[in-house]
Amino acid sequence: MLRGYYTAASGMMAQQRNQEMISNNLANARTPGYKADKAALRAFPEMLIHQMKSKNIPTENGLTLRSNEPIGSLTTGVYAQESIPHFEQGPIRETGMPTDFALVDRYFPDETGGAFFTVEAADGDVRYTRNGHFTIDGQGYLTNNDGLYVLDNNGNRIMTNDGDFHVTPEGSIVTNDGATTIGIAYIANVQNLVKEGHDLLRLENGNAVNINNTEAEVNVLQHTLESSNVDVSQSMTEMIAAYRVFEQNQRVLKAYDESMGKAVNDIARLG
Amino acid sequence: MSLRVMGQAAVTMNQLQQQLDVIGSNIANANTTGYKQRTSEFSDLLFQQIHNMTQPGNEVGRSTNDGIRIGTGAKLGAVNNDFSIGSLQNTDRPLDIALTKPSHFMQVITNDNGREEIQYTRDGSLYVSSEGNDLVLVSKNGHPINGLNGPIRFSNNIDSIRIGTDGRVYVTENGAEQYAGTIQVRHITKPRLLEATGDNVFQLRVPNTGFNEAEVAQLVDENNIMESGKLEMANVDIGLQMVDLMNAQRAYQVNARSITMADQMQGLVNQLR
Repeated sequence: MLRGYYTAASGMMAQQRNQEMISNNLANARTPGYKADKAALRAFPEMLIHQMKSKNIPTENGLTLRSNEPIGSLTTGVYAQESIPHFEQGPIRETGMPTDFALVDRYFPDETGGAFFTVEAADGDVRYTRNGHFTIDGQGYLTNNDGLYVLDNNGNRIMTNDGDFHVTPEGSIVTNDGATTIGIAYIANVQNLVKEGHDLLRLENGNAVNINNTEAEVNVLQHTLESSNVDVSQSMTEMIAAYRVFEQNQRVLKAYDESMGKAVNDIARLG
Repeated sequence: MSLRVMGQAAVTMNQLQQQLDVIGSNIANANTTGYKQRTSEFSDLLFQQIHNMTQPGNEVGRSTNDGIRIGTGAKLGAVNNDFSIGSLQNTDRPLDIALTKPSHFMQVITNDNGREEIQYTRDGSLYVSSEGNDLVLVSKNGHPINGLNGPIRFSNNIDSIRIGTDGRVYVTENGAEQYAGTIQVRHITKPRLLEATGDNVFQLRVPNTGFNEAEVAQLVDENNIMESGKLEMANVDIGLQMVDLMNAQRAYQVNARSITMADQMQGLVNQLR
């Protein structure tokens, strides 16, 4: 059989996945705190291909010996192995809303480190987010868009005195009744975070530590939001590139199909 | 197949349309006195976890957790009212009042199928409406303004009306000034409980929150809570709204482009044979 059939088809499927990630990035180009996903493509596992040979040994009756010589390694395709979120800082934009917060990264001791707001998910566990578009619920607690409570330094809900507060760059929410420090978690390897949707990130491995116990530094800005770090023009270019690679693979597949057509219809024709 | 791309883009376009509606409503009301602009921000949608090529040998050297996660587009999060104060404009009309604190609201008495309801507004362009031999102070939509003792009534042969900075209404009849009533001003401690119901009024939604109305909407009895002869304009920043509008439109186009791309890819698949 022609192996290339499946190689070309896998190329198309991988670009399809790539395209899905790019289009989701574009869809979230206006989502505050969104981090762009990049597809990492990987070749199928290598396999060693062998050549089947036969050797004639000039004996009386003519002896044929079979031999098997390696030619080299071959991979028969490609797949999208990872979707890697890129956690670079997004641009900061001013909204004027007192309940909008943005994190500005200053210094992380680890190259892969990142700082996040903490919210209490419906299951009671902590989730992490960079989307600081918060609001105040009927009770006066600070919540995110979906009504999940934003947590403070000690993992408690934050009472806001109904929007009448100001925030210091260190993350202290100062109301008439006193100050609460908004909880910011530092995660040494951000790639341990898994995107859950609704702006939430879940930590799969490793620990999150309170940023005050680390050397990491972030600033909290009020009245601002961190925009999505999706670069629309770059994503558009990637989209076109992915499309063309998809098309090239389709051409290869067609070429194989033509060869196969020749083999079936012309070479084997009788009479 | 390409349907995931189309789904992501189509869902997002629908939500962008709604954001355009919010922006459109803000721009349309840029000249509505006492209007409070609404803000909306996006949020991403569920991510789908896909396990592909699960052989451990292939996973050497990867930096993220197993599998790949592909999102399903974006949605518009909650639409919030921005209760910051609008600019004051001089009108020199004695019946125009502007509340000077952003948390203060006036009460209007609306009639919903014979059931009286109290609603809240910051629109201070007041009028008088005749009721038999009396005149009653009403809002722009003709709903009576709630005073300390119900609607504020006075006789219809008055010469002038004056509203003090503490909300007291005085009318001059035959050269003598007399007190007619006090406009009730409430300090809303939980502005998030206010829901815009159209006609420039808000409804206070207290049930199921564990608060009572008197606690959430506290009566204000102070001087300098309003200025007569002035109106509070909408707090809409037209420039910002236009920028938002353009950004939302472009995002809409970009998502439409994703759909075209996915369609062309499907076309290529179709042309395989």
